[in-house]
Amino acid sequence: MVAALTVGTRVLALVILGIGAIVGLAMAVAGAGQAFGVHGWIVLIYCLVIAWRVMLQLDAPEPSPSRLRSYYDDPIKMGVVLTMAWAIVGMGFGVWVAYLLAYPDLRYDAAWTGFGRLRPVHTTGIIFGFGGTALITTSFHVMQRTSRARLAGEFTPWFVLLGYQLFVILAISGYLMGINQSKEYAEAEWYADLWLLVVWITYFTLYIRTLARRAEPHIYVANWYYLSFILIVGVLHIFNNVALPVSWSGSRSYILWSGVQDAMMQWWYGHNAVAFFLTSGFLGMLYYYLPKRAARPIYSYRLSILSFWGITFFYVWVGSHHLHYTALPQWVQTLGMTFSIMLLVPSWATAANALLTLNGAWHKVRDDATLRFMMVAAIFYGMATFEGSFLAIRGVNALSHYTDWTIAHVHVGTLGWNAILIFGAIYALVPVIWRRERMWSPRLVEWHFWLAVAGTVIYVFSMWNSGILQGLMWRTYNDAGTLQYSFIDTVMAMHPYYMGRAVGGTIYMIGMLIGCVNIWMTIRKAPEAGYLRDMPKTPAGDADDRRVPAE
Amino acid sequence: MDVSHDTLVVIAKTVGLFLLIAMFLAAVVYAFWPSKKAKFDRAARSVLDDEDGPCR
Amino acid sequence: MLRKLTALLEKIVSPFGRLYHLIFRAMYRIERYSLGLAFAIIIVGGIGGAVEIAPLFTINETVEDAPDMRVYTPLEQAGRDIYLREGCYTCHSQMIRTLKDEVDRYGAYSLAVESKYDHPMLWGSKRTGPDLARLGGKYSDDWHVAHLRNPRDVEPASIMPAYRWMEGREVELADLPARLATLRDVGVPYTDAQIENAVRDARGQATPDGPDAEGVVERYGEATNVRNFDGEGGGPTEMDALVAYLQVLGTLVDPATIAAAQAQVGSKGE
Ligand code: HEM
Ligand code: HEM
Repeated sequence: MVAALTVGTRVLALVILGIGAIVGLAMAVAGAGQAFGVHGWIVLIYCLVIAWRVMLQLDAPEPSPSRLRSYYDDPIKMGVVLTMAWAIVGMGFGVWVAYLLAYPDLRYDAAWTGFGRLRPVHTTGIIFGFGGTALITTSFHVMQRTSRARLAGEFTPWFVLLGYQLFVILAISGYLMGINQSKEYAEAEWYADLWLLVVWITYFTLYIRTLARRAEPHIYVANWYYLSFILIVGVLHIFNNVALPVSWSGSRSYILWSGVQDAMMQWWYGHNAVAFFLTSGFLGMLYYYLPKRAARPIYSYRLSILSFWGITFFYVWVGSHHLHYTALPQWVQTLGMTFSIMLLVPSWATAANALLTLNGAWHKVRDDATLRFMMVAAIFYGMATFEGSFLAIRGVNALSHYTDWTIAHVHVGTLGWNAILIFGAIYALVPVIWRRERMWSPRLVEWHFWLAVAGTVIYVFSMWNSGILQGLMWRTYNDAGTLQYSFIDTVMAMHPYYMGRAVGGTIYMIGMLIGCVNIWMTIRKAPEAGYLRDMPKTPAGDADDRRVPAE
Repeated sequence: MDVSHDTLVVIAKTVGLFLLIAMFLAAVVYAFWPSKKAKFDRAARSVLDDEDGPCR
Repeated sequence: MLRKLTALLEKIVSPFGRLYHLIFRAMYRIERYSLGLAFAIIIVGGIGGAVEIAPLFTINETVEDAPDMRVYTPLEQAGRDIYLREGCYTCHSQMIRTLKDEVDRYGAYSLAVESKYDHPMLWGSKRTGPDLARLGGKYSDDWHVAHLRNPRDVEPASIMPAYRWMEGREVELADLPARLATLRDVGVPYTDAQIENAVRDARGQATPDGPDAEGVVERYGEATNVRNFDGEGGGPTEMDALVAYLQVLGTLVDPATIAAAQAQVGSKGE
């Protein structure tokens, strides 16, 4: 992969990595003896390892200029591997915390194994590690193919992909060492946040620059979704994380916001992380891979545009449904609730659009597990959004809030929609990128599919049961007019469901591991496809022509 | 700050609604503009076969 | 015209010629189209946030007043930082909603003012364990220490992690003045005296018969808990700090003030 870069790019990489290593060293020295110092070492080692990889092939011959006429897929290959690696980490910790809630002593007697430290590792590792890497990876694929253009630059994609990995590594290693600013889904401390900002801005410029190379004036709708994901997540990230470090040589900082304002900021961020990270970006994925795999154009392109604006506009309003009956002013709660219900319209329009695309191609869905992954993801998307709008109603939220019902809803969305869609997209992507006829074993794809569906269903049904039971027990009064159950009664009642969830999660995880094997074997063993592809039909499309400003 | 809380709340409650309607109309007009139909159809089909170039 | 300008510019910046060229070409490539889309997304998406959040920054006009509310002592703040570090918010909320069963179970519902010095707020979103908003004074210090050491010793069915490693671990005090100063910068009204004496006060609060105990009361009020929370000798431990924090939860505002504010809010709200 390094040999495919120009010598200039290799040198540039070394320079940037050198700067990174110096910053890391400075952090390590300044924070010696603290967790901050360990983070310095992590940065330093991370940079040195990559620099060493580059150095190994520093003297390799210049790549041929004809490569500029084909798509640039090396970062995508790396991205696929990293995505699956994060799946193992994220789900591994998910399964661990799931068992911990059933058996609290299933841990070492050490600080880092406390539930409160492990759970953010699960959420960050799986959302930002697994989900985020999958989004970046697929976006590199989608932006090139829909623009019929090569990625704008050979250094930038690597910077974005690997820089982002460093952010996630800093975040989760921080939680284990006790660096946590305790803002849900934004637990990472100030320096990791700043670094993410740098990576994110680069990502945005890369996207825009690649789109600018396209031939067709119209931008395919999947890109709209990816763009809104990048932009809005960037804005949210900045506002939610404005913090003042206590010192430049330590990890601790205090967030600028406090109390109600912080709560609103937090859930404006929190919900839109769901909306633009776990929904918008993933819809981009859906709008590309589903029609592509089904070999049918999307049912209604107009509807996809309408729902795009609907989702973009409505979602930003709904954060306050996380704060029903709290000290947040009531009109804000009402606003959040109203918009949440309206949000169902574009959400279901989207799910319907995806399913109607398959209408008439059901035989393909029956035979092709990859396509079935995507179809099931669209169904779960419909379920999650329906449930979400329902939970956003004040009266319902009174029961569901703080309970496992939320956890059920979360995992309908994440297991059923996000992760299953990622698997579908990856099974579609891997053979294309590695130029294979197909996945190594279609039967294993089939197995993965059923394990994923079974795991999701077991997980979600357990949590629905426990959530509703918990909510009802909390509010049950006896004849004397006092509360019937003590808190610990409700904890004990949860035990069987926590077991059920852990089992469901384990099944899901096994499916994912099978997927990893299959992907690995596809890369190694699957028969090569004789794609002529990837080369222009006419020499007129030479990339070098585009280097010069037109007109 | 001069702007009172109540004014801001009123703005929040009304502007949102008007903007909502305006944006909805704008999006509908854009999506259903007759001359765009061909373009959208082409876009929808464009992803089906994009593995072979031209790539620039 | 444009070309002339460009040429002129180019001359002026000729030392940075290469850089200029790069930027110029980049700008050229960034087509209006895709940037237009980006702008539209930001505007459409931004409105909701702005409209909803802006009024909250004028909320002080409507939030209940609690003039007697005090700030966290240095030891309590150190305990709060441990609470953040351990991710206690993943299982415990600190927000009692305005629902009858919650008020019956946990106490008077939470007011906005009560978390006004909380950077960040810890309202939470999941109650794997009970709400902690009004935990202060509910149990003895001994109970807390035993419970943190191993929750299953005091409540056999508890699923909370054991924090026995926290016992005897000295709490980090050296940077407390810097922490309080930073908190002041983001809006918590610490006085100069409070910041200067932060380390002494932290020690003093956990050593009731020591020389520094008086200063704590002087700077933070009569009602401050000055106790040896973990019952062990020596400097304040993480256990001391955490228990000091837990024991003050929900007691920073006087109960009478809470009741009065609720009567007022209640008649306006629901
Ligand atoms: C192997 C599969 C998984 C298992 C066993 C698992 C398990 C868990 C557990 C035990 C919790 C803590 C619940 C609690 O505190 O009561 C949790 C929370 C969470 N998980 Fe998972 N999880 C899995 C997969 C995923 C995936 C794929 C995602 C996202 C893409 C995800 C996202 C989340 C989120 C966002 C939360 C926090 C929910 C909240 O705070 O309301 N999980 N998970
Ligand atoms: C129409 C769409 C949706 C609406 C209106 C909605 C609404 C809600 C509501 C009301 C809650 C509970 C808040 C609480 O009581 O604390 C919630 C939580 C959550 N939802 Fe959704 N939801 C929607 C779609 C989705 C989707 C597609 C996902 C994808 C993964 C998702 C992920 C989550 C997560 C992660 C949480 C947990 C937040 C926390 O930590 O408390 N939601 N949502």
